[in-house]
Amino acid sequence: MPRRRAGRRWRVVGVPVLGAVALVYAFPLYWLLVTALKGEGELYRATPSLFPHEPTLAAFSSVLVTRRFFVLLENSIIVCGATVLIALAIGFAVTYPITRLKVSRRLRVGVLNWALSLRFLPPVAVVVPYFAIVRGLGLYDRPEALVLIYTIFNLPFSIWMLKGFLAEIPPEVEEAAFVDGASRWVAFTRVLLPLAAPGILASGVIIFSFAWSEFLFALILTASPQAQTFPVGVQGLVTQFEIIWNDMAAAGAIAIAVPLGLMVLARRYVLAGLTFGVIRGQ
Amino acid sequence: MESASGSGLQAESASPDRRKRGHGFESRQERLAYAILLPVLGTVFVVVTYPLLFAVGQSLRATRGGDFVGLQNYASALENPLLYDALGATGIYAGIVLPTEILAGLGLALLVHRTVRSPRARLALYVFATIPIVIPPVAVGVIARLIYAPGYGVLNHLLMLAGVVQAEIPWLSRRDTAMLAVSSVDVWQWTPFVYLVFFAGLQTVPRESIDAAQVDGATGWTMFSRIELPYLRPLFLMVLFWRIADVLRVFDHIFILTGGGPGSTTQLLSVYLYRVAFKFFDTGEAAALAVMVMLAMSLLYAAATRLLPLERD
Repeated sequence: MPRRRAGRRWRVVGVPVLGAVALVYAFPLYWLLVTALKGEGELYRATPSLFPHEPTLAAFSSVLVTRRFFVLLENSIIVCGATVLIALAIGFAVTYPITRLKVSRRLRVGVLNWALSLRFLPPVAVVVPYFAIVRGLGLYDRPEALVLIYTIFNLPFSIWMLKGFLAEIPPEVEEAAFVDGASRWVAFTRVLLPLAAPGILASGVIIFSFAWSEFLFALILTASPQAQTFPVGVQGLVTQFEIIWNDMAAAGAIAIAVPLGLMVLARRYVLAGLTFGVIRGQ
Repeated sequence: MESASGSGLQAESASPDRRKRGHGFESRQERLAYAILLPVLGTVFVVVTYPLLFAVGQSLRATRGGDFVGLQNYASALENPLLYDALGATGIYAGIVLPTEILAGLGLALLVHRTVRSPRARLALYVFATIPIVIPPVAVGVIARLIYAPGYGVLNHLLMLAGVVQAEIPWLSRRDTAMLAVSSVDVWQWTPFVYLVFFAGLQTVPRESIDAAQVDGATGWTMFSRIELPYLRPLFLMVLFWRIADVLRVFDHIFILTGGGPGSTTQLLSVYLYRVAFKFFDTGEAAALAVMVMLAMSLLYAAATRLLPLERD
């Protein structure tokens, strides 16, 4: 059978290729973790060892406690959490009318396209006016400025993801509530929101991860631990004259661990959100 | 569209009380929609648009003193040879990164589609592939530094261990290898995204078309080019638009890895704009560049909305 033979041929190529790809992805992450677990003495050998001889969490405590990065961690969590809440609230205010109310097609398409256009707003182009405006408003080196900007840049994801999730909930469930005499608001909070909860969680996770990763605005609009976010701290360890490899790796590992953990939670819905519904989640 | 119009009709038939009002009910819904949308979208619109207008204002004024200077900032921005270095670097970067990611992503999608059958293994690959997309580019830059840096960088040691090279290669300070190093980070982080898009696309090819083609004896290349490729074509466009938009905003990992060096080899447009604004403090020229970048992006967006198979309802 030609089909079976073709399948075997793919397998002969496939296993080594997939193995190589796995190595290309696993090894760098492994190297990051190993470096983070090394003690200071191990960093300056002529040949770096491929595994830590005496694994230690010293680098993590050095980054979080001695360098006081836990403050930056706290800033990041506050900024990202606030961004998620506001972006989702605005997302609902925009998507509820266009998915649950009878509106014209033109309005719906117009709103969605406008949200998409925000995805094409290049951060580096608006960073110049933002810098001047934020200073003018007295928001320089304050978390509020970052929350405002992160909200704007995550609105396209918020709107398109929520739109996808809301459109999937059949209208009958809300109507049942109307028949029972519920107001629109009650039907929204008691019926629609609980049904949309998995989607809301997924959208929240994605927005949190994107806000968590953001670096350019945080670099330019903050100057002190009062508002600096974690990636800015990581960057500070990299561009120093002498790089402390294990500290830098530990900071990098923490920066990765947060979105990684969240993503495992929301794995099912991610793709639909990232591609604006062009691809449905599986 | 479907759900919303359904919602109106269903509600009417469900409640005789509402049916009596008929058309009034629908227009009441539309009124409510506008009552919610207008204040929210109005606010967002102002918050988004004001900085863009502000940038136009900045671009027409002198950096020092703030006098109106017309298009002088645009002229000096366009006269600066560094701009063309930056455009060239962006072009080289895109020329390396886009074809590599699209071909590798497509290849992997086909490979997994053909060889991995178990749904659990597919789900696991799906989850793994989403990971690089959400981890901070700054952290990926850190990893790349741990690999390419002189001294501690592990790549040189592995290569020497394997006997491929005798002496350390200064990956980040040679012009050719620096661009490759920076591009490799992009490929590492974004190929999985391309893979996910194409893999999901391959699942949409109807079983019947594949069976029919197999009955006709189609295998390998014919199967791909005649049956599967037509389903993937719109996704090529989507990936291309998304990745071009992303290449124009690439900043973080270059800032971490090379800072744009050596010289201006890896100084992509975004890194260059950052330097004009925040290292040379030439706000006027930076704003002029920003306005030009925004115009280019709106053209890209216009093309994207025309050509992308977006769900419109």
